[in-house]
Amino acid sequence: MPIWWIFFAVVIPVGSDSRIDFDHDVIPVLTKAGCNTGACHGAAIGRGGFKLSLYGGDPAADYRAIALELKGRRVNLIDPDQSLLLMKPTEATEHGGGYRLDPDSSAVARVTDWIRHGAHRGDRAAKRRFVRLEVSPQSAVIRGSGGHLTLKAVAHFSDGLSRDVTGETVFKAEDPAALEVDSETAKTRVLRGGRHIIIARYLSQVMPIEIIQPYSDRTSGVTRGGGQTQFVDRSVDTLLATLGIPASGAADDASFSRRVSLDLTGRLPEPGSVRSFLGDRDPERRVKLIDRLLASEAFNEYWTLQLAKLLRIHAQPGNLLGVEKYHAWLKQQISEKVGYDVVARSVLTAQGDTHQIGPANFFRTVSGPREQAEFTSELFMGSRLRCANCHNHPLDQWTQDDYHGLAAIFARVQQGQVVAVASGGQVIHPRTGENAVPRIPGEHFLEDSDDPREALADWLISSDNPYFARAMVNRLWKAMMGRGLVEPADDLRATNPATHPKLLKTLAEDFVGHQFDLRHTLRLIASSDAYSRSSRTVSGNEIDDRYYSHRMSQSLEPEVLADAISDVLEVSERYGDTALGTRAVTLVDPGIESQTLDVLGRCSRQDTCETPVLVQDNGGLSRKLHLFNGPLLNQRIASNRGRLSRLLESGATVEVVVDEFYLAALGRPVSDGEKRFWNERLKSFADPTEKREQLEDFVWGLLTCKEFVTNH
Amino acid sequence: MENELMRCDGFLRRDILRVGGLTALGLGLDDYLRHQRLSAAEPQMPVRAKSCILIWLDGGPSHLETFDPKPDAPAEVRGPLGTIATAIPGIRLNECLPKTAALLNRIAIIRSMTSPLGEHNFGTHYLLTGYKPTPVLEYPAYGAVVSHLHREPTVLPSNIAVPNFSVGGSRMTGGGYLPAATRPFSVGGDPTKPNFSVRDLDFYQGLDLTRLDRRRQFVAALDAFDHSGTASAAGLSDPDLERAYRLIASEDAKRAFKLSEEPSKVRQQYGAKSIGQCCLLARRLVERGVPFVTVNDRGWDTHENLQTRLKDGYAGAKVGVGLVPSLDLALSALVRDLEDRAMLDETLVVVMGEFGRTPKLNTRGGRDHWPRVFSVVMAGGGVAAGQVIGSSDAVGESPLDKPVTPADLAATIYTLLGIDPKREFQTRDGRPVRVAPYEANVLSELIA
Repeated sequence: MPIWWIFFAVVIPVGSDSRIDFDHDVIPVLTKAGCNTGACHGAAIGRGGFKLSLYGGDPAADYRAIALELKGRRVNLIDPDQSLLLMKPTEATEHGGGYRLDPDSSAVARVTDWIRHGAHRGDRAAKRRFVRLEVSPQSAVIRGSGGHLTLKAVAHFSDGLSRDVTGETVFKAEDPAALEVDSETAKTRVLRGGRHIIIARYLSQVMPIEIIQPYSDRTSGVTRGGGQTQFVDRSVDTLLATLGIPASGAADDASFSRRVSLDLTGRLPEPGSVRSFLGDRDPERRVKLIDRLLASEAFNEYWTLQLAKLLRIHAQPGNLLGVEKYHAWLKQQISEKVGYDVVARSVLTAQGDTHQIGPANFFRTVSGPREQAEFTSELFMGSRLRCANCHNHPLDQWTQDDYHGLAAIFARVQQGQVVAVASGGQVIHPRTGENAVPRIPGEHFLEDSDDPREALADWLISSDNPYFARAMVNRLWKAMMGRGLVEPADDLRATNPATHPKLLKTLAEDFVGHQFDLRHTLRLIASSDAYSRSSRTVSGNEIDDRYYSHRMSQSLEPEVLADAISDVLEVSERYGDTALGTRAVTLVDPGIESQTLDVLGRCSRQDTCETPVLVQDNGGLSRKLHLFNGPLLNQRIASNRGRLSRLLESGATVEVVVDEFYLAALGRPVSDGEKRFWNERLKSFADPTEKREQLEDFVWGLLTCKEFVTNH
Repeated sequence: MENELMRCDGFLRRDILRVGGLTALGLGLDDYLRHQRLSAAEPQMPVRAKSCILIWLDGGPSHLETFDPKPDAPAEVRGPLGTIATAIPGIRLNECLPKTAALLNRIAIIRSMTSPLGEHNFGTHYLLTGYKPTPVLEYPAYGAVVSHLHREPTVLPSNIAVPNFSVGGSRMTGGGYLPAATRPFSVGGDPTKPNFSVRDLDFYQGLDLTRLDRRRQFVAALDAFDHSGTASAAGLSDPDLERAYRLIASEDAKRAFKLSEEPSKVRQQYGAKSIGQCCLLARRLVERGVPFVTVNDRGWDTHENLQTRLKDGYAGAKVGVGLVPSLDLALSALVRDLEDRAMLDETLVVVMGEFGRTPKLNTRGGRDHWPRVFSVVMAGGGVAAGQVIGSSDAVGESPLDKPVTPADLAATIYTLLGIDPKREFQTRDGRPVRVAPYEANVLSELIA
């Protein structure tokens, strides 16, 4: 934002004269007083017979409602004080919404003046257009308890006018227990440490303001190292330093190898690789491990699953063939290192027989153009357009034109077994009652064309698209780090800012600059200091759950955990009627019969699989009961095949069995303390049955303990 | 975190002594309490409810086809179903609620519930926690708060959902910021099946309690070593694992789930549908000291064909077996059964969903989401029964008087359960949060 703008623009106070215009002077009063919120007159059908557009999104309609309907009652030109528009919110007469405006306030004076001068919409409304809102500060650090600052908002208009609109701007703290904003003066007091967000709303625009109060005066160093990952670590470390949160040290080699293996391939490292990695003294050994994993077939399988979840690939009843084609195609894209932009373009513009053309199944994931628009925007833009179905999105820039325009792009797509673009097909815009015009969301309406999906795809994957790359790198970051820079990951918007906005932007640019190569961004994140931190907390960073001062432990995904159990036991699980030995991460149909995956909580992909970080679920009591008494672990631990039986048959000592299972399940050797403990507990029994039972119970414990069921 | 008020009967010992002294002065208990309520800044209500059964009508039940019908409204508002008189003169209910209507003197209806949130996830969060959802914090649902404060150790989980807690789009854990152990335990399975049992309560072949005990000790040992293999003080045993073990070990506790022990007459009284059998299971659990049970009845999101979905149950049914008749059987049987067992006074029964439905029928003969006014029903546990609180306007569109927010409802329910709505919990990052929102008002007329 050019700074000079403020100095040259004329900032004038609101005058008490005929220059008051409806769009820019009256609507903000209604917004500030809460009249046009969804709970009051902004509801889809209004309230008490009086309907306003949500947050004043449609000034023309609001003008009609106020000045023209119920003529002479809502605005009384002869006696402005008798206008319902004023009498209701000041409670001069009974008002269901209660007392909203002080009769002596400048806001009431202004509306009174506007009525006195004829209650015109103002011909300037057509000429003067609100361009943008500027808030200051956009970001601030406040030290010490009881600290405060005063916010300011300036509106810029198309005719060159700039005006202080602080009094008419609604400032709302996302967490009212953290920040107190005085609605009159915009004076803001910080009540607790942390990084807090205030949303400023004026007319159609909303903007976030970031206020930081450090948790402590402690500062840890900012990474000075160079190299490719510098921008990642600089961004993460700078925020930690600002917040006064100390960072944990680096994880040891064993933890790192288990972590990166699970993140990149969804598999535990094999005991052999763990041994050789721990014996490797090459300073570049971690980078080499990352590259080896990225080049593996296991990477292709696991990241096909990740994208299949994103694309919500699931079988329609009786259409397994289509899903198999779709999955195979996706796997091929990943294996052949096809850029994510090309993948997106392929699915968005696909057509043909879904039993032949894999990506065409994209249009069989949901049914109907509106659902397709919602799905597509969440997937490729990380935006939730669905609010804009019935009204302009209250927290984002999306309008009903955007929503129904995007739906119109898909309106002609026939979503049968054969996906084709028909010559006809419309969606109705609920406000106009007419056919919606195809539109690139937030941009422009489209000319008539044979297939408007082409224009949408071109726009999405163009290098300057503001959504596409960000939405994806945010998800890649989340997959590696345990939390998205923006959460929820499908809700990117100005009013839900990233914890590290610059990092998100730079990661996105870097992704675009590297041909949307997933491996490139994953390698970058995996190589950073932030990624390699220990999950063990240090004093002062225990409560951090979003600034990456330590590794965030995550529960293993259901498919990954199921495979890990099979790998440790060396006994496969059967899924539906697939061949024994099929890995859960390679399953095509998320609805395939499997009690194991049900117990572990798989996602059906009927709807989004992106769960909020807050709602991490370990299955609770039900899963623990199942672990004790269900077949999930018991059946295979008792098997006469597998690792335990193999070791016992080879005459292995308890010590050897313990060591082997530690390496296989936890990816690390057993420590001396643990060795002593298990030697004590698992005394050698002469009776082989008893020895076996003891060891079965040990294996059961290993597959149930926290260290095994999490990636840490 | 200790709350002196958290006695099941709600009285502190010294209060009882004082009350005892008062009678000698000619003041009755009621007088004393009324006096207390008026004078004390923090009223100490008599707490009767030891436990709560929440019948959750998932999807948003139509207030117009249940507890707030509009027989005199135009046809498009009135809807396809008729109304009947009740035990309270002048109060009518939907025609599918005859047994409930006869019991209305034991029930209170709030007809002026109001919320701005007409989306399932949001509405559910608001109704089940008393707080509007926010991106910064997930609040705990009623059952978790009760479970967190429950001081009488039971082998059975203190927060149980039958058959499950898939509410409002299933995004809620129910525990919010409270420890995971407070989340509702979903019993699973289908209680309408004759062979219904809770999965995984019986030993897997070849296992016995000795081995399960050893297994749990091994996990505790593994968890006590940290990732580098050194013993750490922070290593605590997994609370869910402990609870699972204790439950498996207790034959007595497991009997609570055995619906087959109930005489078939009783099972029939509750109705054959899931809601009925779940209510019966809830009674068995409450009887054994479980302080909170959620009965989750799904399918109330009736965007089309009210006649079939709410009344008939299937096209051409002679006797209605839809959602409302099933609710009628379940609710009336539960209230009577609790009364017969002298448990009604100490069991709070709440019936609600996330919102109401639109006053006008839509083109598919259904009603869409409508949070602006809807009804909540309560009985037992200290509720001043036999009354209707608040009302909606002539077409069931807005509250006409005494609007009650879900926050107010939360404050009231917590008060009835002996939990001070102003009580504070700490979130994980040390933030104090009240049990019910700051602005919530207790509906004192609902409390007997």
